[in-house]
Amino acid sequence: MPTTADQTPRITVEERLFSLVLALIATEIGLTKADILSTVQGYRQRYLSDGDNANLERQFERDKDDIRELGIPLETVEPPDDPGNNHLLRYRIPKGLYNLPADVSFSPDELMLLKLAATVWREGSLSAESRRALTKLNSLGVDSSDPVLGYAPHLRARDASFTPLSRALDHGQVVAFLYLKPGESSPRRRRVAPRAVVLHGGRWHLYGTDQDAQATRTYLLSRIVGPVVTVPGETFVPDGEGKGRQALDELDALWGANVAELEVEPGSDAAVRLSKREAGKREAGKQDAGKRDAAGTAAGTTMTPNTVTLRTVTPHTVTLHYTDIDILADELAGYGPEVLVRSPLALRQAVRTRLVGVRDAHTGSTQGSAA
Amino acid sequence: MTARPPALGASDKLTFLLSLIPYLMDHDSVTVAEVAGHFGVPAERVREAVRLIAVSGIPGETHQYLDGDLFDIHWDEFEEHDRITLTHLVAIDDSPRFSAREAAALIAGLQYLSSLPENADRDAVASLMAKLSRGASGTPTQLAVSSPDSDAAMSVIQSAGRSSVQVAFDYLNARGEHEHRFVDPLRLESVDNDWYLRGWCHLRQAPRTFRLDRMSELRTTTEPVGSHDAGLVLPDTLFQASDDDLSVVIELPASALVLLADYAPARATTPAGGDRVRTTLRVAHYHGLKRLVAGLAGLVTVVEPAEARQAVADWAAAGAARYDDPSGEA
Repeated sequence: MPTTADQTPRITVEERLFSLVLALIATEIGLTKADILSTVQGYRQRYLSDGDNANLERQFERDKDDIRELGIPLETVEPPDDPGNNHLLRYRIPKGLYNLPADVSFSPDELMLLKLAATVWREGSLSAESRRALTKLNSLGVDSSDPVLGYAPHLRARDASFTPLSRALDHGQVVAFLYLKPGESSPRRRRVAPRAVVLHGGRWHLYGTDQDAQATRTYLLSRIVGPVVTVPGETFVPDGEGKGRQALDELDALWGANVAELEVEPGSDAAVRLSKREAGKREAGKQDAGKRDAAGTAAGTTMTPNTVTLRTVTPHTVTLHYTDIDILADELAGYGPEVLVRSPLALRQAVRTRLVGVRDAHTGSTQGSAA
Repeated sequence: MTARPPALGASDKLTFLLSLIPYLMDHDSVTVAEVAGHFGVPAERVREAVRLIAVSGIPGETHQYLDGDLFDIHWDEFEEHDRITLTHLVAIDDSPRFSAREAAALIAGLQYLSSLPENADRDAVASLMAKLSRGASGTPTQLAVSSPDSDAAMSVIQSAGRSSVQVAFDYLNARGEHEHRFVDPLRLESVDNDWYLRGWCHLRQAPRTFRLDRMSELRTTTEPVGSHDAGLVLPDTLFQASDDDLSVVIELPASALVLLADYAPARATTPAGGDRVRTTLRVAHYHGLKRLVAGLAGLVTVVEPAEARQAVADWAAAGAARYDDPSGEA
């Protein structure tokens, strides 16, 4: 579709990006910026052969970033005989790094799981990432099998700091934010090299290196006050895989070490729900899963426990593990008189303080504000 | 005018173009409807993409985008029969890799789902995650999700679903009442750490939502599920407002509104001094409200009606009183 430059037909963003990707994959030795701006669809229409192309160059810089964000390996090649000469830089997309490796293929059952996994993220950037991953999966042409029962699992990442933190994680940027530690009256500024963002016990945590203490710390995203900003010029080399697992292991260890002893009202909401989380039950559940693995059971094909009965005992005493005393105290306060904390003392006091605060805030005239 | 940051839409469209080509390569003469069905997109979006692909390509030796440098399709088939046949390919012939973040989103999603009965085979899930890592162009972002406890209740419900029989359980509702329920399971839903069964409740003769952690004595039965569920459409939201609901005015910091998103507070808020705002919640009864407010101690205060304030005050006072007895060391 040859066009003359002065007509400047409207070329959509996706057409320009698509044409750029095709041109950079097709080239072996790479194209210089001048090659790209003067010949590639979407740039060439606006290219001035003897003028100032500064706007177009900035456009190309942004397009490059957008293409890389999609996981497309857009490379910069320095001229071997003249390194550092920006005019001779070449750009290309090596086909071997662009193509999905041949041994990465998925069965219909796997695809069913991946489709479900992609629906988990309902909000924010991860839902867009999941949608694009699913589009790429669909390109493989495998039809997924159908689950027996409908599922609609959802995870939320509602903390405002989630997206900036996970971006900083990708780009190896040190971030700064105000953090309000429980028990402290005012937030303190932290400079952190983020290593992983993990969900544990229903809460998002940042795992990272505190730049001032030069030590690893875990932060609750819900306690980050105000915006997360990147610290200009401060970067670090992102870790390989495994940091997320490490963060979860440390939180698991903390969870295992903290034990709360509660007295619950038999038959109450607290008794039914908290006793399901009682210490010891979780380990037992994991062992069961392990046994199924050992038997080599294919995903959900042979388990047909037609007569399984789940017995729930409602004991007076419930022992719970926890990671964060304030989060557990919030939850336990919600149960009002159905729960009495026996130990530890700090949890006992935290729950009592909350209940007294709520009682006082709701006693008397409506002018009283919250504690 | 195009010199503005590309909308999210452009990234999605580019991904679709790059994904559609390898699919079309593998599927000779496929209908637009089939493609739309496979990718889960509207047919018109497929047609738009095909039209763009058919005129796209590389500048080529001449820098003129000549015919041999462009993709081509069987135009008559496309225009007359809505069928797509790629007749010439340029530059790409394979599926693109995942970005580091895309792989991370799926891996974290799988970790979250690892308590489902479908995921009982942990080795299979681990190998699936490894494949996603290998298929990504960078090390997946370190996002991790602790697998929730594998819940035996889900296996029971799934097994009932497979055999099309009802499940039975004792249910403690939010009002604190115990009832025995027979339910046709329709869907398992979750929000973060909380799992819910949605199904047809034979006691209420209506679709209902049940929290898994409020069920006791769950078992599959030999009673077949009813036939009514074929045309039954479940509402999108877990909780439905009812005309009988009570309105409650609450006061809270604006930043805490997000914590109440599930309760669909009225969009309208009025300033209440400082960073605090007032808004209206609709609740079925005060039993749920008092638990909600006591669990958000220091954040949320009920303003009116007086009965609601009283219910919350009584609940908290009864809780606090348990710490006042002589044996209490607090």
